[in-house]
Amino acid sequence: MTAELSALLREIVGEENISVNGVEKIAYSHDIAPIPSFMAKLFRMEPDYVVRPESIEEIAEVVRLANKYRVPIVPRGSATWGYGGAVPVVGGIVLDLTGLNRIGELRDGVIEVEAGVVWKSLMERLEGTEWMLPCYPSSALSSTVGGWAATGGLGYGSLKYSSFAENVQWAKVVLPTGEIKRISADSAEEPTLKQLFGSEGTLCIFGEIGVKLVERGEVEEPFIAYFNRTLNCIRAANKLLSKTRPFTLVVKSSAFLKAGEPEEVESGAIMYGLFEGEKGEVKQSMEIFRKIIEESGGIQGDREAARDEWEDRFYPLKIKKWAPTVITSDVLLPIDTLEGFVRYAWTLGRKLRVDVDLEIMYVSPDQAVSFPLFLTDERKFSYMVHLTVAKKLIDYAIKNGGRSYGYGLWNSIHLARSEPRRKRELERLKRMLDPNNVLNPGKTVKMSSRLGFSLPRPLYSMFMEMLWVMRGVAR
Amino acid sequence: MKLEFEIPRIHLEDTFACAQCGYCVVQCPVYSVIGWESYSPRGRLFLFKRLGLRNPIIPRFDSEGELIKEFVERLYACTLCGRCMVVCHLGLDLLELWENLRRVAVELNYAPDVVYKLEEAILKHKNIYGMDNAMRGDWALYTGAEVPERETARVVFFAGCVTAFSGRVQDVAFAISEILNHVGEDWTMLPDEWCCGHPLLVGGALRRYREVAERNVREVERLGAEILVTGCPGCYLAFKKEYPRLLGRRLSFKVYHVSELLLEYVRRGKLSVPKLDIKIAYHDPCELGRIAGITEAPRRLLSMVGEVREPRESGLYTRCCGGGGLLKAVKPDISIRVAEVRVAQLLELKPDVIATACPSCELNLREPKAGKKLRVVDLAQLVAEALGLI
Repeated sequence: MTAELSALLREIVGEENISVNGVEKIAYSHDIAPIPSFMAKLFRMEPDYVVRPESIEEIAEVVRLANKYRVPIVPRGSATWGYGGAVPVVGGIVLDLTGLNRIGELRDGVIEVEAGVVWKSLMERLEGTEWMLPCYPSSALSSTVGGWAATGGLGYGSLKYSSFAENVQWAKVVLPTGEIKRISADSAEEPTLKQLFGSEGTLCIFGEIGVKLVERGEVEEPFIAYFNRTLNCIRAANKLLSKTRPFTLVVKSSAFLKAGEPEEVESGAIMYGLFEGEKGEVKQSMEIFRKIIEESGGIQGDREAARDEWEDRFYPLKIKKWAPTVITSDVLLPIDTLEGFVRYAWTLGRKLRVDVDLEIMYVSPDQAVSFPLFLTDERKFSYMVHLTVAKKLIDYAIKNGGRSYGYGLWNSIHLARSEPRRKRELERLKRMLDPNNVLNPGKTVKMSSRLGFSLPRPLYSMFMEMLWVMRGVAR
Repeated sequence: MKLEFEIPRIHLEDTFACAQCGYCVVQCPVYSVIGWESYSPRGRLFLFKRLGLRNPIIPRFDSEGELIKEFVERLYACTLCGRCMVVCHLGLDLLELWENLRRVAVELNYAPDVVYKLEEAILKHKNIYGMDNAMRGDWALYTGAEVPERETARVVFFAGCVTAFSGRVQDVAFAISEILNHVGEDWTMLPDEWCCGHPLLVGGALRRYREVAERNVREVERLGAEILVTGCPGCYLAFKKEYPRLLGRRLSFKVYHVSELLLEYVRRGKLSVPKLDIKIAYHDPCELGRIAGITEAPRRLLSMVGEVREPRESGLYTRCCGGGGLLKAVKPDISIRVAEVRVAQLLELKPDVIATACPSCELNLREPKAGKKLRVVDLAQLVAEALGLI
């Protein structure tokens, strides 16, 4: 069967677009998150084949073949997500979609884009036009349009213009049976675009997308302010949000807790972002910003500093230079719970004696995505213990009306508690659309391993608590 | 088997520091034409981590040995252009990492044959082509250049192997020598010029690089030179950055790329370049623009000759011509594909001429069919032509 499948795949994509090479399999066996070796043993993360289709028709043919041979198929953009969504769990075919990199026509504020197009290329394409992207991810320098459609779509610009899902006019997708379907954003027929967006590669493979653009604002004004207390910074940001609508608003702080701080920890923070739009409106927003910063005890940075920070926005992981490994769990939170969340993250950091870097990106008037980065070292046993924070942060978010930002492989165990209705809907759609369970199996809806079973949640929780208890000896 | 060279600890840390963000992937000129992750900087770094190469390196001839050989093949499918380094999320010194990993590959005897042949050619024949080094100065005979023979001189012109031996770029040496004569410079060349040794660093065969460096520096110092000038960015990096590091001392002379020296002549009023009615697309050589940081001097000089047009990727973000890192020798097919991308970018500017400041770039930009449509020249040639010297 292997030789037969291999020959058929070659027929579809051509000899030069398929690899069974040993080092290639390794290179396609991961995303940005390091996996502890004992956990890696539960999965077969190296694919059997890496296939690079160059058109949606080729994707569809490969998917049909995968159904015929019951081989798992894992779509992959630039692998810049950290939840294992693009990593095989039982081998199979990794579909490298970066070959679909054509940018089509721009007509009436909608641009046709293939799924493998990198956001940066799209931004460059729009330079000098009257149009701009309403939103884009923080990894825009390498991540793909299709990848973001599959994994959430909240980022820069979402605060003003909403999520990526809301800024799409249509998408051409390959369903898990190999059917190509063009779905309009206003179509109510299942599967709808809303159902497919954020389904993390389990319900469809995005092939082409009609991205809605917004008219470029008259002016752009980045802003920055410094605070000696993070909680003050968050309060000021919340206040700013109640009175203005920035394109982006971010709070960043670094807490040095490794040395074992006293009970009450605090850390300085910066708030930065961008206003864009009509001249008068931006001017007024900047005036409100200035007043709020003054009232909140912050210091407004100059334009150059604001510009530098804005231009540096695609480099949120610079902190990794301080430690070999970071652990995070991106969570979506109601903004009135942010202060509590930050305090909680610091408490975890203090108890584990690890430094905590924190970034909070406001994505709507009442919600923010928080990325706390716990600085650790994957080569040490303590890393195992530190991994427990990922669960604790999600538990905190769920308890406070939030949720995990993504699920993929590693967080799929949290979906039932985090979004029970969505889980039921995803399960129903998965049964309906993917009867052979070939498309990205073992992710999002239900984690599975090479051993054929998934870890029951109570057992997982117990294991995590056991590790947490060991924190005193694992420093 | 204990190797003479061990991987610096910082590089072992780099494998963990790497955020795997992929910013280097989309920028890599080789990945952009091949498209396989293992050929990208991120892919190579991940393989380095996963294959668990540690000190001391123990060559394994089992299945993992095969993987290591495959990994080494990827290491040499790289132009060492340094583009990955400037976009790195963490600011990792990736260029040094690739160079040091090649060094390990050479010691393991896993490097491509061409590297060992190159090492032998440089050490035995004193040039990269393995030719009789007595022919090194023949370019002057072919071009009719007047090279003053002096026992001492203020300026030493170091031609470098490619310029001296490759008939297609000997005009660069001709142009430089004629300009030096035109300004009345007190200059000469080494009576027996050897390869600068930079290709040894690039190939990872550094075992006797120090000997080469010592000899070259001694010879230049013997002439009492104040300035060493070269038109080759590889030779420039050797004298400017690598020799002081290898020898552990400052050199007694200054090292200039020809663009810097010519600009200096202009500043001092010794050189006045007439403007021609030409549109010039300037290609920054990676080793000169990105790695040595010389981006202004070539532009200022060329803007005196004609109208300079900037390609989409230039300066610090210049796109490689495909000729660096021994790629042209190890994987000529990939090298040409990389060149095709760059030539297309340069032709977009609708120039009359493509100018660069590196003999290897000049040769490689002429390789693709599209590159033959237009004249590709060195900036020194354009200056000499404007002055009516050649």
